[in-house]
Amino acid sequence: MIVHRIACCCLFFCLCVVFSQQNALAHGGVVEEDDLCVIKVNYLRAHFKVYQPRATGHEQYCEDLPSASESIFVMEYQHDSLSQMPIDFRIIHDVTGKGRFARLEDVYKIADIDSATVFYQPPVIEPDVYAVNYEFIEEGDFIGIVSARDPETGKLYAAVFPFEVGFTGFGYWPIFAGLLVLIQIHYLYMSGRLKRWYGKSSTIVTGFAICLLLAPPVSFAGDVVVTYTTPDGDPQLNRMHSWILHIENESGTEVEGATVEVEGGMPEHDHGLPTKPRVTEELGGGDYKLEGMRFHMSGYWEIVVSVTTDDGTSIVIIPLRL
Amino acid sequence: MRVSASRVVVALAVAIVAVVAWQRWPASPPKWTPVEVAMLRSLWIESLPELPPDPSNAVADSTIAAKFGEQLFFDTRLSSNGGISCATCHQPERRFTDGLQKGQAIGTTDRHTPSIVGTAYSPWQYWDGRRDSQWSQALVPLEDPDEHGTDRAQVVNLIAQDETYRATYESLFGELPDPASSDRVMLNTAFANIGKSIAAFERMVMPTPSRFDEYVRAVVEQDAGSQQRLFDDDEVRGLKLFIGEANCTQCHNGPLFTNHEFHNTGVISFPGDVPDKARVAGVREVLRSEFNCLGIYSDDVEHRCAELRFTRTGSTLTGAVKTPSLRNLENTAPFMHKGQILTIAEVLQHYNEAPDAMIGHNEAKPLGFGIRELHQLEVFLGTLAAPVAGLSGADGILVEN
Repeated sequence: MIVHRIACCCLFFCLCVVFSQQNALAHGGVVEEDDLCVIKVNYLRAHFKVYQPRATGHEQYCEDLPSASESIFVMEYQHDSLSQMPIDFRIIHDVTGKGRFARLEDVYKIADIDSATVFYQPPVIEPDVYAVNYEFIEEGDFIGIVSARDPETGKLYAAVFPFEVGFTGFGYWPIFAGLLVLIQIHYLYMSGRLKRWYGKSSTIVTGFAICLLLAPPVSFAGDVVVTYTTPDGDPQLNRMHSWILHIENESGTEVEGATVEVEGGMPEHDHGLPTKPRVTEELGGGDYKLEGMRFHMSGYWEIVVSVTTDDGTSIVIIPLRL
Repeated sequence: MRVSASRVVVALAVAIVAVVAWQRWPASPPKWTPVEVAMLRSLWIESLPELPPDPSNAVADSTIAAKFGEQLFFDTRLSSNGGISCATCHQPERRFTDGLQKGQAIGTTDRHTPSIVGTAYSPWQYWDGRRDSQWSQALVPLEDPDEHGTDRAQVVNLIAQDETYRATYESLFGELPDPASSDRVMLNTAFANIGKSIAAFERMVMPTPSRFDEYVRAVVEQDAGSQQRLFDDDEVRGLKLFIGEANCTQCHNGPLFTNHEFHNTGVISFPGDVPDKARVAGVREVLRSEFNCLGIYSDDVEHRCAELRFTRTGSTLTGAVKTPSLRNLENTAPFMHKGQILTIAEVLQHYNEAPDAMIGHNEAKPLGFGIRELHQLEVFLGTLAAPVAGLSGADGILVEN
C-alpha cells in the first residue's frame, strides 16, 4: 500500500509540474483564470477567446489553434479604459527563436517586424468589443501582439502571446491523467477511505442545505413602499406606456422630492428592459410619472425602483408577470 | 426451445402491431387550454392593431405620397449606374427579400436583405435598428456606395428633371429646392421628403391571413371539423411546441411574430467577417442620425419620440439583432442577419443547440429536442405562408383601398 501511495504521489507531482509549467509559460500575456481566458495588456484586462468558425463552429480556444483556417480573435473588455483606447493587433511568425518563452522584449528586438508580420490591424477605437478576423494559410508558431495607447498619457501598453496553429493537443497527457485518477480511486476504495469521506461530505452538504432552507428569505424592500398604477390601461406586450409610481415610507407618509431611478429585467433570461425608462415628473402627493416602459417578452419581470432621499437610498423590487 | 421461440415471435408481432396501431390511431382533436387559446389569439392576424401613426412623417398616410413612393421604389434611375432600385433587393415576388446571403446591388452589402412586410409596425429599422422610421431608413441605401451609390443632390436633381415627379413632389411638399443649392438644410429637407414618400408606400406592404390564421379562427369558434381539416397532427404539435416548450414566443410574439426588439442568439459569424456587433453600435448610430425622430427633418414637432428617448444603450446589446417576423418565411431563404443559415431546418437545429455567442451573450437556452419535434416545428412554420398585401399582381400597381 505504501509503495502504491508513493508511486501515485510521484506521478501526480510530475503531472502538476508539467501542467503548471505549460500554463505559466505557454500563454505569455494570456492566462487562464477561473476557467476564463484573460489577456492582460499591462494592468488592463479583457476576456480573450479565439474561434475557428469554418473548422470547428462555436468551439472556443484560449490560444493554440487546431488548424490553419479563418480565425476570429475576440477581446471583451473587463476594464472600461480599453473601450476608449486605440488598439492595434499584430500577428507575426515566431522569429524570436524563443518559442513559448517569447516576451515583449524579444519582440522589440526584431529588426524588421513588418516582414515577419502576417496580419496587422491598425489602431482603432472599438467602444464595445474588439474582434479581428484573420485566415491562417499555414500552420506553425506565431506570436500575437496587442497594443493599446492611453490617449491622455500617450503611454503604450502591450501584451504578447505566443501560440501554435495546427496545435495537436496534449498528446498522451490526458491518458496519463485518467490513469492517475483511476489508480487513486482504486487506492482510496481499497483502503476504505472513499466510503468514510463520502459519509463525512454528505453530512456537510446536507447540513449546508438545511442552513440555506432555514435562513430567512432575503427582503429587498427597504423603508419605503412603492405601488404603481398604469393610466394607459394594463401593460401590454410591445407597447410603450407610462406608470405612476406612488411612494410612501413605512409609516404611510408620502415621500416627496426623492430621486427615483428605475431598472428592470427578466431574471430568468438574464436581460434587462428593452427601454430605459425614466421618471420625468414629480406629480406631488408621493406620485412620480414614469415614462418609457415597454415589455417585449411575456413571462416574469422584476422592476427595480431605487428611491433616494436625504435619508439615503432604498431599493424596492416590483415583481410582475406578463 | 421450440415453444419459447414461437413465444418470442408472437410477442414481437404483438409489439409491432401495438406500435403501428399507436402511430396510426386517429388523434383525438387537440384540446387547447384557455391559456393556450389566449396565446393563439395574440398571434392571430386579426389581433393586429390599427397601424400606428408615424408623427415624424406628415405624408405617411397620403395616397398620393404612397403612389409617388411606389414609383420611386421601382425606379432604377435612383442609382449611380442606372440599374439599381429599392426593388433590386426588396423583390415583391420574394416577399421583398432577394434570396441571397448578403444584398447585391452596386457592391455587396454588409448584411442579409430584410423583408419590409409589416415593418411599419416596428419602431426600429435594419437588423441593428440604426434608423427609427421607415423614411429615414429609405434614405440610407440611396447614398451607400455598395447599394444605389448616388447622393442626395443627385436624387433631388432626378425629381427636378422628371416633370411628373416634380409636379407630384410640389403638390405634396411645396416648391422643390434647386438641387445645386448650397443650402444644406433645404437639400436635406427635400431628400427627407423623398424618403417620406417611399415610406408612405412601404407602410402599405402588409402580410395577409395564412392557413394558421384560419386555424386560430376555428379554435376560437370551437369548430373541431375545420381544425382537423386545416392542420394535420404534426402541424398541431408543432404549434403546441412553438407556444410552449420551444419558447419561440419569448421573442416571436404578437400577430407579426416579432417583438421588434434586439436579441443575441449566438449565430455564427459570416465567412470573412468579424462577429456582428449589431445593436450596441446601431443604437449609437440612430441616436446621432440627423434624420432621427428628434431631428429637424422629423415632422413630429412635439418630439414625442418615446422609442428614441427611452431606448436602451450599452454592452448588453452586443451582438443583438432585431427579431424578424416569421410570417412568410417561404421563398425568403437564407436566414439570419447575414444569411448564415440556409434552411429553416438548420435554423431550428441552431436553436436546439443554442451555442455560446462569439461576442456578447446568447439569450437562448438549448432546446434539446429530437428530430420529430424539430420537424413538427418546421411544418408548423410552413402554415404561416400567405401572399403579401400592398401590391396587386406582378406589375407592382398599388392596391386601391
